Amino acid sequence: MTLVATGLNKQFGPTRAASNVSITLRTGTVHAIVGENGAGKSTTLRMLGGVLRPDSGEMTLDGAPYAPNSALDATHKGVALVHQEITINRSLTIAENIFIGDLRVHAWPLGVLKRKQMAALAQAALDRIGVKISVNANIERLNLGELKCIEIARAISSNPKTLLLDESTAYLDHREVDAVLHVMHQLKSQGITIGFVSHHLSEVLAAADDLTILKDGQFVGSYGVASIEANEIHRLMVGRDVLQGTYPPRPPRPVSDAASALRADKVAVGRELNDISLDVRRGEILGLAGLKGAGAEALFAGIVGDEPLRHGALQLDGKSYKPSNPRAAWQHGIAHLPGDRGNEGLIVSFSVLDNLVMARPPTIGPFFSMARARAMSWNLIKLIGIRTSSAAAPCRSLSGGNMQKVVLGKCLAVSPALLLLNNPTRGVDVGAREEIYRIMRQKASEGLAILLSSEDMPELIGMSDRLVVLRQGVMVREFDSLTDVEEHDIVQYMT
Amino acid sequence: MNEALTTNAPGSTAPPRQDELRVSRIDLLRRGFPLIFLLILIVVFTIMSPRFLSLENLSSVFDEGTVLLVTALGMTFIIMAGSIDISVGAIVAVSALVAALTVNTLGVLAIIPAVAVGALCGCFNGLLLALGKVPSFIATLGTMVVYRGLVLYFTRGAPVSIDNDGFLNVYSGITFGIPNSVMIGLALAAVAWAIVNFTVFGREVRAIGGGERVSILTGISVARVKILMYVLLGALCGVAGLLQGARTMAATSQLGLGLELDAIAAVVVGGTPLTGGLGSIIGTMLGVLIITLLSSGMNMGGVDPYLQNIIKGVVLITAVFINIDRKKIGIIK
Repeated sequence: MTLVATGLNKQFGPTRAASNVSITLRTGTVHAIVGENGAGKSTTLRMLGGVLRPDSGEMTLDGAPYAPNSALDATHKGVALVHQEITINRSLTIAENIFIGDLRVHAWPLGVLKRKQMAALAQAALDRIGVKISVNANIERLNLGELKCIEIARAISSNPKTLLLDESTAYLDHREVDAVLHVMHQLKSQGITIGFVSHHLSEVLAAADDLTILKDGQFVGSYGVASIEANEIHRLMVGRDVLQGTYPPRPPRPVSDAASALRADKVAVGRELNDISLDVRRGEILGLAGLKGAGAEALFAGIVGDEPLRHGALQLDGKSYKPSNPRAAWQHGIAHLPGDRGNEGLIVSFSVLDNLVMARPPTIGPFFSMARARAMSWNLIKLIGIRTSSAAAPCRSLSGGNMQKVVLGKCLAVSPALLLLNNPTRGVDVGAREEIYRIMRQKASEGLAILLSSEDMPELIGMSDRLVVLRQGVMVREFDSLTDVEEHDIVQYMT
Repeated sequence: MNEALTTNAPGSTAPPRQDELRVSRIDLLRRGFPLIFLLILIVVFTIMSPRFLSLENLSSVFDEGTVLLVTALGMTFIIMAGSIDISVGAIVAVSALVAALTVNTLGVLAIIPAVAVGALCGCFNGLLLALGKVPSFIATLGTMVVYRGLVLYFTRGAPVSIDNDGFLNVYSGITFGIPNSVMIGLALAAVAWAIVNFTVFGREVRAIGGGERVSILTGISVARVKILMYVLLGALCGVAGLLQGARTMAATSQLGLGLELDAIAAVVVGGTPLTGGLGSIIGTMLGVLIITLLSSGMNMGGVDPYLQNIIKGVVLITAVFINIDRKKIGIIK
């Protein structure tokens, strides 16, 4: 089924979220929508999927007018949308999750579920997308990638001809991303048309036939993937050539003889991290590579005192440091940017200012000083380039990249000696990434020690001065220099 | 996902203050809502009974409302942090009893043990929540029964009278035509307002309500703040108990019964959502006025006493229905 949209427009208040977007999803192909955060990708996809109604513009399905008035209506017309957020309810079974939208269809008259029949149908849906998950599996034990696949199975169970995926891989690690890409491939071979939004150009190049580029809500153009270079895509997304300049240059020779900022000696935390010894020096960015659960998150939780050390010892600036709770860590000059921006990084309903000064509110005597807080915020907003209409604007009005800059600003507000970054650019567009990298490098050159944990390999290679690979809670390899190190050199140690 | 709603480039950051003053009209209306609602009530009741706006009536209404005000001030902190306390009525009863038992030896200074015991009751609630990790609703439901049980146990159900003249003169007397209790209540409101708006503690309470996990990871000692806010509420209940005891000249096991519901209602009608993260003392003061005037206005206007509860409930729901900002509180449960 071919889905054609012409001249779609959508406005939210004063913001033009999508402007004159035209897109053609050809039957049986995969079509990627790319652009920076705030470019209008999700808005476009949601208009196609009936969640949002375009202010103007036309859509047709196989030539017939298509104007869905809800996501359900779109589903009835053969277009199903999978949202970015994972909406699996872990207290239900896999089958119940897949058929959550129309449980009534699978129930006897009084509402008792036909469990066997449902399980069989659910299994069929899972098999159809080519994932090896049993409907009887314990849903608590599934990883995010598997949950995402269940969501896709849910969408597929309505037998759509067109499937729309919104940032389906945003929170997944490598293996999980591969699983989702495999599912897309599988569905394409069954003649299903797929439209998807992604931040990762590598995924787009690997999976898509066509791509549409959006920038600041404006339609830039549609291209065949085979006919366009990665560099060119970047240039069109951002408006300039960024591939070369994404990562700021490293200082000529890393600070091998600088004093140690943090030394970990045989540290073990929880079940994930078994025994790790490492040393971060002042002015150095130490990368931590590893799959999810390999121990980087546990290490961070241990350092900031969010979880107790099972054994081992930490030294901060050469002095013994026993992390008791996050408060103590901040007081010791350790700032922490957590991996889950919305739930751990910042309070989205609070203003930019409230979040920026949260770790160390400025005071005069016993009172909070709004004047100093304002001055502090504006310095940080300027330093990091946070795009906000005012310091008093609520964070929820910012794009993902700018929210992340607020979290980074909160960390820098305390002038830390050690900065822990957990996937600092997850869900962040290319432009904001560059600014985050620039600040990291700048602060490192001023003597800040940074521990960078990331699932983004090019980022780890581009930003780290040294790199440590973790696998199943232990350190398996150390790279003292990352010049001429390729992605696969690192990945081979991770799995 | 939030698509960007802002357009300013980092270089073009205009003068901040001007921008910050820009508030949408709906927000202004919402902020002004409790006040508008209060004015409507006053107009309606004045039409029903012209005596409503007389000085003596207002003076007695404020006097009556002070116990609720003092309690609701403390409740504002709790609700801003996303917790709840339904033991406040019982703490008020305990404090009134302590005041009644000590007033003959301590006189005016009976306020010290009353507030101390109130703070202790609050501290216990806070410990249950912060260290025992018992949800505040259940924890305070339990302590409500315990605290009121204590009063029953020690009084055997009989009232303990308060007839110390010095005590009564100070806590239920009138100076320059204004009840002393009202002045105490307003002074405490000023302090509470300053705490919310100008202290780090006030910001931390709000932050916990906005996102507890974020607060913990940002280095706020959440347990300490939680215990402190319950101590604060307990102490305020101590004052409320004292004032109520002075008004009725006795401590009884029935004192403060149902006060928790009025206090929660006053806070919520004043615009502080039960989900936490937001809140204002001024709003709470307006909420207290609304609830107090509603009762007294209906009495004066000759509304059938058996009908009054129904009207009160409907008015409260209507007020909250119109007032809450559904965008800001996200999930409503």
